[in-house]
Amino acid sequence: MSSMLLRTAMRLLFPLTLLFGVYMTINGHNEPGGGFIGGLILATALALYRMAAGPGSLWDIIPVHPRVLVTLGLGFATLTALGPMLLGLPVLTSWTGDVPLLFGETVHLATALVFDLGVVFVVIGVSVGMITRLSEECEDLDDPTHPPEDGTDLSQASGKEGAA
Amino acid sequence: MPEHASVWLVLIAVLAPVTAGVATIWLPKSAVALRVAVALCGPVTAFFCILASLSVGGLDRTPNGEVGWLPSLNINLAFLTDGLGAFFGLLVSGIGAMIVLYARGYFGKEGPTSKEDLARFYPLLGFFMTAMVGLVLADYTLLTLLFWEMTSISSFFLIGWDRYNKHAVKLGMQAFFTTGLGGLGLLGGILLFGDTTGVWRWSTMLEGAGSIDWNSSGVLWAFVLMFIGAAAKSAQWPAHYWLPGAMAAPTPVSAFLHSATMVKAGVFLTGRLMPAFMEVDQWAGVIVPFGAVTMLIGGVLALNQHDLKRIFAYTTVSQLGLLMTMYGLAGYTYKGPPTIDYDITQIANHAFYKAPLFIAAGAIGHVASRQLPELFGAFHKHKAICITMLLAGYALAAGPGTISFPAKELFLYAVYHAAEEAPWLWLVMAMTVATAMCNVAIFVRLLTTLMGWRFGMKAEPHGHDNHDDHHHEHHHEHGVMAAMIWLPGLLIVSLQYLGGLIPPLWDVLFLPFETNANYFSIDKGVPSIWYAITHPSLPLGMSFLAMGGGVLLGISKLARHEHKDIHDKIYPLAYFLSVTGGGKVFRLVQTGNLKHYMLFILGFFLLMFGWAALPDDAMRQMVALTPGSGYGIGILLGAITCFTALAIPFTKARIIRVVFLGATGFSVVGIYIVYQAPDLALTQLMFEIISVILFVIVLRLLPKEKIVKQALVGKVGRVAIAASVGLAFGWMTLTAASSDPEFRVGETLAQHSYGNYEYNAAGEKVQLQPTALDTTRGGGGDNIVNVILVDFRALDTYGEIAVLGLAAIGVWSMLPRRKRGRPDLNPGPHRTLVSEGPNANPHIAEGGAA
Repeated sequence: MSSMLLRTAMRLLFPLTLLFGVYMTINGHNEPGGGFIGGLILATALALYRMAAGPGSLWDIIPVHPRVLVTLGLGFATLTALGPMLLGLPVLTSWTGDVPLLFGETVHLATALVFDLGVVFVVIGVSVGMITRLSEECEDLDDPTHPPEDGTDLSQASGKEGAA
Repeated sequence: MPEHASVWLVLIAVLAPVTAGVATIWLPKSAVALRVAVALCGPVTAFFCILASLSVGGLDRTPNGEVGWLPSLNINLAFLTDGLGAFFGLLVSGIGAMIVLYARGYFGKEGPTSKEDLARFYPLLGFFMTAMVGLVLADYTLLTLLFWEMTSISSFFLIGWDRYNKHAVKLGMQAFFTTGLGGLGLLGGILLFGDTTGVWRWSTMLEGAGSIDWNSSGVLWAFVLMFIGAAAKSAQWPAHYWLPGAMAAPTPVSAFLHSATMVKAGVFLTGRLMPAFMEVDQWAGVIVPFGAVTMLIGGVLALNQHDLKRIFAYTTVSQLGLLMTMYGLAGYTYKGPPTIDYDITQIANHAFYKAPLFIAAGAIGHVASRQLPELFGAFHKHKAICITMLLAGYALAAGPGTISFPAKELFLYAVYHAAEEAPWLWLVMAMTVATAMCNVAIFVRLLTTLMGWRFGMKAEPHGHDNHDDHHHEHHHEHGVMAAMIWLPGLLIVSLQYLGGLIPPLWDVLFLPFETNANYFSIDKGVPSIWYAITHPSLPLGMSFLAMGGGVLLGISKLARHEHKDIHDKIYPLAYFLSVTGGGKVFRLVQTGNLKHYMLFILGFFLLMFGWAALPDDAMRQMVALTPGSGYGIGILLGAITCFTALAIPFTKARIIRVVFLGATGFSVVGIYIVYQAPDLALTQLMFEIISVILFVIVLRLLPKEKIVKQALVGKVGRVAIAASVGLAFGWMTLTAASSDPEFRVGETLAQHSYGNYEYNAAGEKVQLQPTALDTTRGGGGDNIVNVILVDFRALDTYGEIAVLGLAAIGVWSMLPRRKRGRPDLNPGPHRTLVSEGPNANPHIAEGGAA
């Protein structure tokens, strides 16, 4: 699924898309956007990158299994859910306020942003994970050197542990 | 000592056995004597704590003090140490101590698994004892239920003791399901009773009996449900099958749970209810028939067994039926007071001969055999065990000289007196005599066989190979520990003769617990054999008839072969029916066809929508649509959406369908853009992109498509259902958007999106007054959609991302990576954006071309 056109375009598009996704996430609380959209944009960017650069290329950018991202995201969300309970507030209560920056500037933040980050991580993990996993199946079908699917190739399965 | 101290004493009594039992877990395996000593501490502590609490608080129906636990659910730790409860508590802990010693003798010291067995047995036994002591002493009805279920659970583990034996496990489940089902009945009964009368404590029930309408339907059904629980637990016909099955348990368990204590829980409950519930008109009518039938069936089946444990199990069933009948008879009166006398003596009588019988049966099975015909003349080899068994057997036959004799007399008197009010009880009298004959006959056969006399049972030369008794190699022990296998039984059975031969001593020990003495005055004590002989009456005649008939039956050739109980088939049949029925329903509903699932879901949605919308006037009104400017483009996009969606079922190639589906989605994106919903548009756009990518990948993986000619009717039907679901959703949205502004949350959400602000005409933020819906708290953001997602309805979002994660886990687990390890981990042949050139990786290039 790789073509020179896509590869060339991606060199320009990929950083821009990533930037757009991050912007959408951070700015989402006040302008159109948000964690879900930001996550989807980032996931689309990563999926396109994988198409352009080939299987295995994503590992160079995110050297963890996507399930780690999902766990991380759910962990963030759980943290923001349970955190207020320790202070005696209802679940998922958000704190808002102006955080001082340098030079007298302040930025208005809500702890819901942490929750949004959790959403981003989950969305990226799930989308990238599914796309990667299904693409690998396709690539295995196309791989002429690979034996048919019968699970007999155990030599590589053992390499799984070593890689971990 | 302050009065409320007794609640702590009882609490210690309840918790001591499990604490001691669990403490034995950490003892080294080899420390057998220490293990026994620690385990013994539990019941002994419980026994003396109950005694101490009696000396503090006395035997009355007012619980002293309580420890709060779940006041909102009407469960607190309060205990009722009245005669019945305290007697049962002492019985359980006293016999429990004997069983701890017997288990030591039974499991031995040198056997291959003895130490493991003991290490596993004592914690479970302690758990059971705690449950049982708690059950009989709890004052809150629901606390009783809690302990009740705990006895069922511990009983399951103890019956399925031999955990590698599938049969034993199955029997354990049978007992668990049967008593557990009864437990549900008890739960329902307690809840219904509490709901009807507001009574959640036994003590309130007993004291306030006068202020309750005992013949309201709620109380009646509460009684029936509670009786179902009691009957299942106490093995009443037709649920008695589980008790003989429970004999798969090791004998210490059988002797403790399935003769003296747990099976009596139902009897206990009936006794607990009796003083108040006998006001219910149907009390006797419900209990007596079941009790009497159980009594007779148990007696007859016991005579038809060869395995000693099964014999005694069926006599237990029979005796439990008798005890139930005894409480049931309290519904009748004789010269004023109800016909019930000395119920505690009846219960004690049974415990004091049945536990020794089981102990002796287990002991003889250990050293010889448990099959009666194989024990011909065993007396001469195993004197101590056989003496224990015969002494207890004599009490089973209610021979004069045991407390069993006056107990049977008391029961016959009760039937005799009650029969004046209800003549059909003469039938129960006949059944009682028949049962007593069976019991006497069993004793006669035990005696003649063990002694090796004429008329004894002799093993046939062949045919007894496949019995599941305890034939393992026994390691003979010597010294005091060897006696543990029969001595506890002898100690317990001696109480029988104490009561029979020295009645005043029995009165001293047990009369304080008695509360029901009506015909026979409590001052004179339990009637002794002399009373019976000096007051000849019909019941005495019945006793002698039973004895004479029983001896004849015992030496006769009748019922000398083993017969199976037809009720043993009830549970397997019910199990089979529910499993196959469940399987049928499962296959009916879970077809594995996505089409059917969607039809189920959407059809059910339509049904619910119709059910909710049709009676609602607001939903049936036509919404007035006032088109604004620029609706033309909206209609165009809507038409494209509908057209592409409708085209999907009528195209054949999958890839085309995916394209149409994408087109539907993208035209919806267009509508969102036109009507200024940028968040939705962006989300939908990104979602469409990713789902098209996923679809394309999945389509590559699917097997080659087979074009199946589908019936047009089905296709049109499905289109119709899908279209109606869409219309229903549209209709709901329209109605919601055009409804009375008072109920619209949108404005409130907009106000609270940032804080409680509003923008005035000059574009400045203006603080608003707190509304009813919210105070001044806000989400701290201007984008309402996102504030709703991550703040106002963040819990929904949390649920959604959790579902997303689950879906991904589903993909990863259904498509496990078999060949390359982790995804994208194998660096293998791949390119980065930098390594260009079509020849850099021919393999990928081929893949791309393909």
